[in-house]
Amino acid sequence: MDVLDLARTQFAVTGSLHFLFVVLTLGLAPLVAIMQTLWTFRGNPVHERMARFWGQIYVINYALGIMTGLVMEFQFGLSWSGLSHYAGDVFGAPLAVETLGAFFLESTFLGLWIFGWHRLPPKLHLACIWIVTLTAYASAFWIMAANAFLQNPAGAVDRGGHLELADFGALLTNPMLTFALPHVIGAALLTGGCVLMGASAYQLFRGSAEREFFTKSLRLGVVVAAVGAVVAVAFGFAQFGPLGEFQPDKFGGKPLAGAGLGFMILIGELFQFVVLFFLLPTVRWLPRWRWAHPIMMMLTPLPFLAAILGWLAREAGRQPWLIYGKLTVADAMSPGLTSGMVTTSLVAFTAVLGLLAVADYLLIARTVRRGPAAVTLGVPPGPGGPAPERATALSL
Amino acid sequence: MDILWFGVFAVLVLGYFALEGFDIGLGMLLPFLGRTQEGRDRIVAAMAPFVLANEVWLVAVAGVLFGAYPRAEGEVLFGLYPLVVALLVSWILRDAGLWFRRRADGRAWRAGWDWIICLASYGLAFGWGAALVALASGMSITPLGLAGGAAVAAALAFHGWTFVSWRLPGRVTGARRGGTALLVSACVAAAPAAALLAGSAPWIMDRTAPADTLSVLSIMILPLAPVMLGGQVWVWRTFGPGRAPERTLSFF
Repeated sequence: MDVLDLARTQFAVTGSLHFLFVVLTLGLAPLVAIMQTLWTFRGNPVHERMARFWGQIYVINYALGIMTGLVMEFQFGLSWSGLSHYAGDVFGAPLAVETLGAFFLESTFLGLWIFGWHRLPPKLHLACIWIVTLTAYASAFWIMAANAFLQNPAGAVDRGGHLELADFGALLTNPMLTFALPHVIGAALLTGGCVLMGASAYQLFRGSAEREFFTKSLRLGVVVAAVGAVVAVAFGFAQFGPLGEFQPDKFGGKPLAGAGLGFMILIGELFQFVVLFFLLPTVRWLPRWRWAHPIMMMLTPLPFLAAILGWLAREAGRQPWLIYGKLTVADAMSPGLTSGMVTTSLVAFTAVLGLLAVADYLLIARTVRRGPAAVTLGVPPGPGGPAPERATALSL
Repeated sequence: MDILWFGVFAVLVLGYFALEGFDIGLGMLLPFLGRTQEGRDRIVAAMAPFVLANEVWLVAVAGVLFGAYPRAEGEVLFGLYPLVVALLVSWILRDAGLWFRRRADGRAWRAGWDWIICLASYGLAFGWGAALVALASGMSITPLGLAGGAAVAAALAFHGWTFVSWRLPGRVTGARRGGTALLVSACVAAAPAAALLAGSAPWIMDRTAPADTLSVLSIMILPLAPVMLGGQVWVWRTFGPGRAPERTLSFF
């Protein structure tokens, strides 16, 4: 591989890993917020335990989202300084707004939520998780706005060899954004719903004592997955309109992008069929149908696979352009970048992030297996709370 | 407008060192101040509620660099390529240590991650020292960076030591420190970056994005500034000393 292929591989690896975790973050955040809202206003303890259990899974998953996101953000300067040189005046704006106006708030309030259990007044603590959810979706908006600009550079004009921002409104109403964002949100809800459904099915299949807990979780998961599947499929097909206008050659003679698109559509249609015609109509009885639980468990990894295939289609289909029709990927590469530099960082990032991603999934699986009783997030104080081994932390 | 955004940039850089500095410092001191597992748990629990709100300042620095100084962004990050990679790997490992150390049982698991937190914190401190020296000398990475690394490491360790003496007075270091001492150590931690910023202000401002871009950034960001600041203040009010004693187990 030459240096360009290496730099592209590095971005593809970190980008795919990032989206694998982000898609679940976006899917789970509103569900945890809804569970905690139900607990705060209705007072049924099962909703508090649900918020803590699914919240812990959400938080463990979030760790890798941050770590891969950092590598993504800094890689623009490391490998693709040609991009900031040519289009930074336009492309940098949505990224700056994302970090300052969305991620900064998300991270601050997530810390308050994680460590604020039984410390903050309940309604303020609830407000924290809603702020985290809203800013997570604001992040998705700005990142997709930046990506849509690469697909169709709307709102920018070329002045003296580099792009300048001419129309901020056009940047935000880019058709490559307005159809793709709901598609991504639908995919995220499908993923979050499937994780609730699959993990609950696993616990019910094993004959868990927590029947009420996992019955409620499974039903919520199925309903959310159904909503997500419909939105994702509808806006998936809707994207062919602007695509035909702005990138007519997206899938022509590009086997990787074509295959990604084909398999993603296959998974999307399968979900729409299974969820709408089988799981949703029977949602009342599903928790008791033990034979159906392994099927739901097997469906769980598919939205993750579809998410990666979708990005493959969107990004590989744009080649050889980084900014469609304006700047090629080759021209965007940092001048002076050597194979040795990229190989070293590629190996370092892939090894570290790959190992941590595996560890993260094992820890999520462990949390699911051990069930709500073993959750450490927001353990209530007092007897029946932290086990003796954990009592040392209380002496703080 | 140029001046305003340079001010925002400077505040974010200095804020990162003044805040995240004590997390890095405590990470470096972890095996020395916490000789037992319980001791290390107590130190991590003292800094844990602040970490997310602290490290995000650097993410914001990168965002402003890209949004307001796009040409500087490419030059700086590419110019310091090996250091940026080392800093990122250290940062990721430090965070992984914090997030994962309590996620499985067994003393070896937690002790192992504590060592990773410690080593990665040294990586961050020395990486920053070397990066500041390299930026000051026109982006040439030289052995002098090692001296810069040692200086930054000492400053951050001092800041971490002061923080834990303020947060848990007399419990970890045997010393008690007030808010003023913490403010002083925060200034010490931010001093090297402040010196660099003062020296390189013309270079950075020379690379400012056009006025249209800055206007868009101002309209989108400045109304949110009170919320951002409010969140940070709320973190300190909630998790500072003298509040209700810790009633629940620390998640990290």
